[in-house]
Amino acid sequence: MIGLTADQIAAEIEAFSHRLKQGAQTLAAVGEIETGVSLREPIYQEDKLTLYRYQPRVENPHAIPLLIVYALVNRPYMMDLQEDRSMIRGLLDAGLDVYLVDWGYPDAGDRTLTLADYVERYMGHCVDAVRDRHRVDAINLLGVCQGGALSLCHTALYPARIRNLITMVTPVDFQTPDNVLTHLIRHVDVDLLVDTLGNVPGQMLNFAFLSLSPFRLAGQKYVDLVDIFDDAQALKNFLRMEKWIFDSPDQAGEAFRQFAKDFFQQNKLVKGEVVIGNRRVDLREIAIPVLNVYATQDHLVPPAASKALAECCGSRDYSELSFRGGHIGIYVSSRAQREVPPAIAAWLLAR
Amino acid sequence: MTQQTSASHSGVFDVELVLRQARAYLAFGDQVRLFTDRLGEATEAETDWGEALQQHFTQLKVAIAQSAENPAVNPELARLWLLMADTWSETATTLGMATETIPDTLRQTEVWRTYQRTQGDYFNQLRDAAMKALDLMEQRLNELAVAGKTVSSLRELYNLWVDCNEDTYGRMLRSAAYGELNGRLFNALLRCYSRPEAQS
Repeated sequence: MIGLTADQIAAEIEAFSHRLKQGAQTLAAVGEIETGVSLREPIYQEDKLTLYRYQPRVENPHAIPLLIVYALVNRPYMMDLQEDRSMIRGLLDAGLDVYLVDWGYPDAGDRTLTLADYVERYMGHCVDAVRDRHRVDAINLLGVCQGGALSLCHTALYPARIRNLITMVTPVDFQTPDNVLTHLIRHVDVDLLVDTLGNVPGQMLNFAFLSLSPFRLAGQKYVDLVDIFDDAQALKNFLRMEKWIFDSPDQAGEAFRQFAKDFFQQNKLVKGEVVIGNRRVDLREIAIPVLNVYATQDHLVPPAASKALAECCGSRDYSELSFRGGHIGIYVSSRAQREVPPAIAAWLLAR
Repeated sequence: MTQQTSASHSGVFDVELVLRQARAYLAFGDQVRLFTDRLGEATEAETDWGEALQQHFTQLKVAIAQSAENPAVNPELARLWLLMADTWSETATTLGMATETIPDTLRQTEVWRTYQRTQGDYFNQLRDAAMKALDLMEQRLNELAVAGKTVSSLRELYNLWVDCNEDTYGRMLRSAAYGELNGRLFNALLRCYSRPEAQS
């Protein structure tokens, strides 16, 4: 039943309008929102790519460095968003020596980059740079989301260079019944898309993500924002997240073409049919220890899509870490900070 | 070592995002106020509450249908359920496909007409989902009434409306028909974009 009178509603609307008016002025004055909190230095650059090393936070970090490979969509500062929401800081605090691949912003000159460029050339050079720096044969690799799929490919092709592999919210079986992204792209003519546009605009991908939950993500979220206008910290946290959401790099056309067709539309990764360069990716070649981290309420990469790795990879030391939360919460929620980096570090330090 | 900051993206928040949704929320409030006014009259006349609720939702559906035909009639009300349509239009605009700037030469082509028809089909699906959301909302309000529970603020009612829309929209999104339509919409837009007239 609606226990509301017209007067109550009028009062609520008036209060809302008042907060909105004040808050709009506050918002306009906030200016640029900065992201990324941990100290780091670039140690390798190639084209748009930059490889960073984060400053260790313990005196003697673990001897085997950890390289994080983020997705090509969205920006990797989600891993180090702010002081109290930083997966990278958690890994550093746990004693790891952390490196991160920042893919940068592809432009028109990058439209011919293929998945082979990303998986073999760029990742290969980054792995080599870290191996050389630490004088080790093999390093630890952590792939995030799409970066996890790229990491699986790289590890399958170059197993001797990777000591332990961690995949985080990584799709492996792209055609589980609950995979909405696959459902949306299934009938898109990917060749027409890439042939027409060259690079795929980040804005177009944003549309796909927003379309999964538009009334919450494009509506209610902004109405709720009015409630925190007078909380400077909460407002900055919101804006930081908002910046990340809309900071979507365009996707290099040819790499997108192959990823969309081979991974989403034809589900070739689980079938062992993905070809990178001229080599077939067989996940059974991955015999090193694997930790597969997934989120139980992930609406972008459903748990079943990640857990399919158990049946495909060749590792006898395969473990899963289930996080109770969503695709974004696994990086930034308070519980994620307490649970995920320590668990990853403990798993690595035991190997 | 350097402190990292992201500078490639401007990072300046678009305040209009909030203002648009706030205006839509206020339009929602106006609709609810209309309802509570009528509900007050119904109570004075000792009319059945459930009947009054049903009447209101019927009127609301008519209003939404009208705003679907012509969003200019009540643009803020239309915005409530046209969220996805807005988002799609913005996407098309970033690709140079803003309706108001389409050259006449392109408008006269079959690919453009096909895109317009497909977009119309898409908007119709969104409208149908919005109507079903109102049915669901009516049902949930009745369930609350039966359980003796009360919605005691406009925001609470708005949140219920959002939940109902996400519910019905989510079901539509996962349907085979929507998957096919979504692909058709993208492909139709791309065919327009690839026409030489679009580049002029």
